[in-house]
Amino acid sequence: MRDDRAGDRSGVHVPAELLDRYAVGAAGIAADALWAVEAHLESCAPCRDRLGEAVHRRSPATVVVLERVRVGLDAAVARSGRMPARRRRLPGQAVRWAAPALLPRLAMTILVVLVALGLDLADQMTEGRLPSLVLLLAPVAPLLGVTAAWSRGLDPAHELVTASPRAGLALVLRRTLAVLAVVIPVLAAAGLLAGASPARWLLPCLAFTIGALALGEVIGLHRAARGLALLWAAVVVAPSLVAAEPPVLLEPASLPGWAALTIAVAIALVVRRDAYTVLASGR
Amino acid sequence: MGAVSPLDEEQLVRLIACGDRAAFDELYRRTSPWLAVRLRRRCGDDELVAEVMQETYLAVWRAAEAFAGASVGGSAVGWVWTIAARRLVDALRRRARDARVPPVALPPEQVVPAAEDEALRATVGDEMGEALRRLAPELRQVLQAMVLDGLTVRETAVLLGVPEGTVKTRARRARIALREALS
Repeated sequence: MRDDRAGDRSGVHVPAELLDRYAVGAAGIAADALWAVEAHLESCAPCRDRLGEAVHRRSPATVVVLERVRVGLDAAVARSGRMPARRRRLPGQAVRWAAPALLPRLAMTILVVLVALGLDLADQMTEGRLPSLVLLLAPVAPLLGVTAAWSRGLDPAHELVTASPRAGLALVLRRTLAVLAVVIPVLAAAGLLAGASPARWLLPCLAFTIGALALGEVIGLHRAARGLALLWAAVVVAPSLVAAEPPVLLEPASLPGWAALTIAVAIALVVRRDAYTVLASGR
Repeated sequence: MGAVSPLDEEQLVRLIACGDRAAFDELYRRTSPWLAVRLRRRCGDDELVAEVMQETYLAVWRAAEAFAGASVGGSAVGWVWTIAARRLVDALRRRARDARVPPVALPPEQVVPAAEDEALRATVGDEMGEALRRLAPELRQVLQAMVLDGLTVRETAVLLGVPEGTVKTRARRARIALREALS
């Protein structure tokens, strides 16, 4: 029996021979002794060190295990890096509002709006005969962000999200709202500089957003958004750029039409809302 | 006894939480023989032991921040064992599911009083030691898994490869036997 008091309250350490027998996994250690050894080792660093020495002396099989684990561990640690401290992730609350792929898409949307604004300002300074690009882009600007709200390809947890109780229209609308909350102020600021008043594009913008969601219930959100954006580009943006005059559709006179369309697509969206609880709709 | 480094295991874990690789290596050097021996006494398959140890230390490396000292009486070593015991049970469960092969447990310890036992009387206590020694091996295994290793009934069942009901019955019998022996 040792009388070295370091590290243990009782002051009694495991006898060397018993430690050796424990190290090699020998049978025949009486139950109470075995329990005492295990309980003691958990609380006594010096005895753990001695056990380590005993293992290296007496138990080649254990040393083989230790070597194997150390090699595997080196590789695994190098591969995994540090998880908890370094990895930044969206807090739980944010995930309900923003799809994972949202930030890059929002950044891209803002970039496009800024480029349009730059072209507008350049155009104003020279001749000023082209219609405002910000105005032309505004109705479809949120679509890029909106597609991220419900996408199998962009959301790594899409299957989980779909299966969650919160899935469905409410979640999609919530994420859409998050997109609009960013995009609309940016558009408003850009429009102010480019001379495109929100009164002219806000309703079309809402109509397109809700329309994409409603159409997305039928053909998938991605396809719907892409289709609507292409349609807008072909039918409105290109002709008005070619003709060099603002499109009729964005004149104040056509606002009642946009209001009616917005209401119509909103009703369609609500009627078919169950589509956003089905996996296959996330294209 | 070896040179005792000035840092204890708890401080090492705190350093690991800050991403200190050297602290991790030191913790591995200090605790891995102990963990290997303890696991090998519970599982006869060295491959499985290595797998469990690797998972355990990887979890320590990744989750060092989650080491809430209070939950295991502040002992980092106890924390490591808690992780390892759970991983062992998980691995056995996985293996049982994959292969339908019963877990390889070491044969029950034989009750042979050794000279060293005298030395440990002070730690465990005479009556308790006597009672433990007289306990049937299968009852003692259950007690060991539940009391010493801190496993639940379900985990104990996986570790020993017996149904949960059996674990409960044996735990009750062991309790009664110990109570009688101590009264």
